[in-house]
Amino acid sequence: MSESTVQLRPPRHRVARRAIGYWTVRSLLGAVPPLAGLAVAYAVFESARTWSGPLLVAVAVLAAGHAAVVPSWRYAVHRWESTAEAVYATSGWFVREWQVAPMSRIQTVDRVRGPVQQLFGLATVTVTTASAHGAMRLVGLDADVAARTAGQLTELVRRTPGDAT
Amino acid sequence: MSGVPWRRLDSRVVWVDAARSLLSLAPVGLAVTVFGVEPGSATLWPVLTVAVVGVTGAARDLLRWSKTRYRVTEERVEMRTGLLFRTHRSVRRERIRSVEATALLRHRLAGLRVVTVGAGLSGGGQAVVRLDAVTVETAGRLRRELLRGVPDEASATVGAVAADAGPTRHDGGQVAAGDSASVLARIRWSWVVHNVVNWWAFVMAAGLLWGAYWTAQSFGLDAAGTVAGLVDWRSLGAGRTVVLGVAAAGALGVLGMAVAFVAEYWDFRLLRVRTPAGTVLRTTHGLFKTREVDRDDDRLRGVEIAEPVLWRWMGTADTNVITTGLKVWSMTPATTILPRGPVRVARAVAAAVLEADPSPFAAPLRRHPRAALRRRVGWAVLTVVSATGVLAVSGDALGSSRLWLGGVALAPPALLAAGVAYRSLGHAVSGGHLVVRSGLVSRATAALRGGAVVGWRVRQSVWQRRLGLATLAAATAAGHGRYAAIDVAADDVTGLAERVLPGLLAPFVVDSPRPGPSAVGVAATAPGRETGGGLSSPSAGFDPQSRVPGRERVEKGATPGAAR
Repeated sequence: MSESTVQLRPPRHRVARRAIGYWTVRSLLGAVPPLAGLAVAYAVFESARTWSGPLLVAVAVLAAGHAAVVPSWRYAVHRWESTAEAVYATSGWFVREWQVAPMSRIQTVDRVRGPVQQLFGLATVTVTTASAHGAMRLVGLDADVAARTAGQLTELVRRTPGDAT
Repeated sequence: MSGVPWRRLDSRVVWVDAARSLLSLAPVGLAVTVFGVEPGSATLWPVLTVAVVGVTGAARDLLRWSKTRYRVTEERVEMRTGLLFRTHRSVRRERIRSVEATALLRHRLAGLRVVTVGAGLSGGGQAVVRLDAVTVETAGRLRRELLRGVPDEASATVGAVAADAGPTRHDGGQVAAGDSASVLARIRWSWVVHNVVNWWAFVMAAGLLWGAYWTAQSFGLDAAGTVAGLVDWRSLGAGRTVVLGVAAAGALGVLGMAVAFVAEYWDFRLLRVRTPAGTVLRTTHGLFKTREVDRDDDRLRGVEIAEPVLWRWMGTADTNVITTGLKVWSMTPATTILPRGPVRVARAVAAAVLEADPSPFAAPLRRHPRAALRRRVGWAVLTVVSATGVLAVSGDALGSSRLWLGGVALAPPALLAAGVAYRSLGHAVSGGHLVVRSGLVSRATAALRGGAVVGWRVRQSVWQRRLGLATLAAATAAGHGRYAAIDVAADDVTGLAERVLPGLLAPFVVDSPRPGPSAVGVAATAPGRETGGGLSSPSAGFDPQSRVPGRERVEKGATPGAAR
C-alpha cells in the first residue's frame, strides 16, 4: 500500500437512505429478463437442460448477490455537496471518482424522477457543463431535497453571466 | 428581419455542371472514336461508369442548385434546400465558430467558392450550412460578415475592395482594408518528407495502379503484358520479384503522396488576422483545390501536438487547435493548423498561436512516479500471459505443441511499449496553461488554458490506489472534451488542479477549513439526517468572496503541492 493518497475529503451529504431500497428494486428488476429467458429455455428445450439448469442457478445467485451487496455499497460511496461556487460528488469503489463542476460553468440542471424513484420518493439531479463528458448525476436524492437543490442551482446558474464554455 | 430576401446560389454553377457532364462523356467518345474500341465491348465499362456517374452527379447538382435558397439576417443564417425532403436549416450567428471557403479546380476556373459555416452545438454536435457555390466576392463578404459581425452594407464595400486589391498572389488569403495580418507559419517543402513515408503510400500505389490498369484496358492497351515484358521475371526468382514489386509500389506511392501533398499545401500560410471586431486564425492553402479556413480566436482554448510513435525518430508532429465547436473527428478537420511537419516548428507555431508567456510547450514536463511504469509493465505482463495461455490452449487443440512460444515472443515488444508509454507521461503548468502529455501510439501533448477548465474529475482504480496514483482530468467545452494527467502521484492531484485553476478544488481538500455556509441543498425543513443537516442560511447566496479566507489557509498549509 502506498502512502500517496488523493487529498480530497468526502462530500458532506449522503444520498437518501431509501436509495438502498431503490437500488435493490432496480437490481432485482434488471435480473428479471435474463432469468425469465433462461427459465423459458429450461422449460422448453429439454435437451439443453444439462447446461441451462446450472446457468439458471448461477445467474440467480449472481443477481441475488448483486441485489444484496451493491446497493448498500453504493450508499456508502455516493456522496454529494454543493456550495455557492461548485457542485462536488463522489462515487465508485473499484474505480473511485471525484467530480467538481464550478457553478459558473454549469449549463443545465435537470431533475428526473423515474417510476421506481417516485415509489421511494427519490429523484436524480443531473448537472451538465459544456464538456461532452462533464455531466454529473446525483442519483437517489430525497425528492424534496432534489427539488430544492435543483431550484437553487438553477437560480445560481441563472445569475452567473456568460455562455459557460 | 423577415424582410431579408432569400438569395440563390450563383448561376455559374449551372455552367460548371454542364461542363462537368460533357467532360465525363469525353473518355467514352475518345475511346470509341480515336482508339476504335467496340461500343458494346466489356472493356468499356470503366469509362462508361465515369460517364454515368459524372452526368447523374451533374444533374443532381443542378437540381440542388435550383432548390436551394439562403439568407443572412441579423440573427441567423438560414438555408432551405431539398426536393422531396425540404430542409430548413438555421444557425444563430453568435454560434458560428468557423467559416471555410473551399474550391475545387472547377470552382476556381469559374470564380466560385464553396462556403461552409460551422457552428457548435452543446453536446459536441455541429450544425453546418454549406453554400455550394457562391462567387469569390460573396464568399469573402460572407466570411467577414459572419465571423466578425460587421453589418451587411459596410462589409459589402470592404469585400469588393479586397477582391480587387488583394495583396496576395492568388485570390486566397486576401486581407481586407483596415485589417492587419501577421504570418505565423509558411510551408517548407522539406516537410514533404514527413508526409510521404507512410503506410498510405501503398494504398495510394494500389489505387493508382488499379486506375491505370483499367484506363489502359478501356483504350485497348495491354498494361499487364507491358509490365510482364519489362523484366525477365522468371530469372529473378519469387523472392526478388516480391521485393522488386513492393519497392516499385512503394516508390510509386511515395511519389503519389508527394504530388498530393504539394498540390494540397501549395502556398500554405497560417495567419492571424486582426480586425476591429476581433482576431481570427486563418489557414489558406491548395493548388487545384483551395481551402481557406477562419477560426474565431475567442473560441481558442489551447493547442495539441501529436507525435506518432513510428515517426518520432524523425520528429514528426501533427498540430491541432483545441477550440469549442469544431469537429475533431474528420478526414480534414478544421482544427488542423499546420501540415504534418517537424515538431520543432509545431512547438514554435503553437507558442505563437497561444500568445502565452512563457510558452506552455517550452516548459519542462514533470515525470510521473515510477509506480506508473509498474502499472504499465503490469499491463504488458498481463497481455503476454493471457496471449500465451490462449495460444497454448488453441495449440493443444490444433495439435501444435510450440504455438505458445508465440505468446512469449510478445514479451519484449510489450515491455518496450510499456517503457515508451511511461516515458511519454508528463505534465506541467506553464503560462497559464495545463500541459499534459500521454499516449503510446501517438504521443499527444495538450496545452489547455486554465480558464477553459469547466470541471475536474479525479479517478482512481483499485490498482491505482495500491500504487499511490490517480488520474486528474480537466473537463472542457473544447476539443476532445477532456484532457487528463494520467497516473500522477495521488497526493499531487489537488496541488496540480489548484495551480491550473486556483480556488475550485481548494474547499474540498482534506482538512481544509469549512468554507462559507453552503448556499444550496440545505433545508431547515428537510428530514435532515441524509442531507447532512445543520447547514443554514441559504441567504448566503451567490457571493464569490465568501470563501476567500478559507482558500488562503489551504494554500499555505494543507496542500504542499500548491507551493511548488
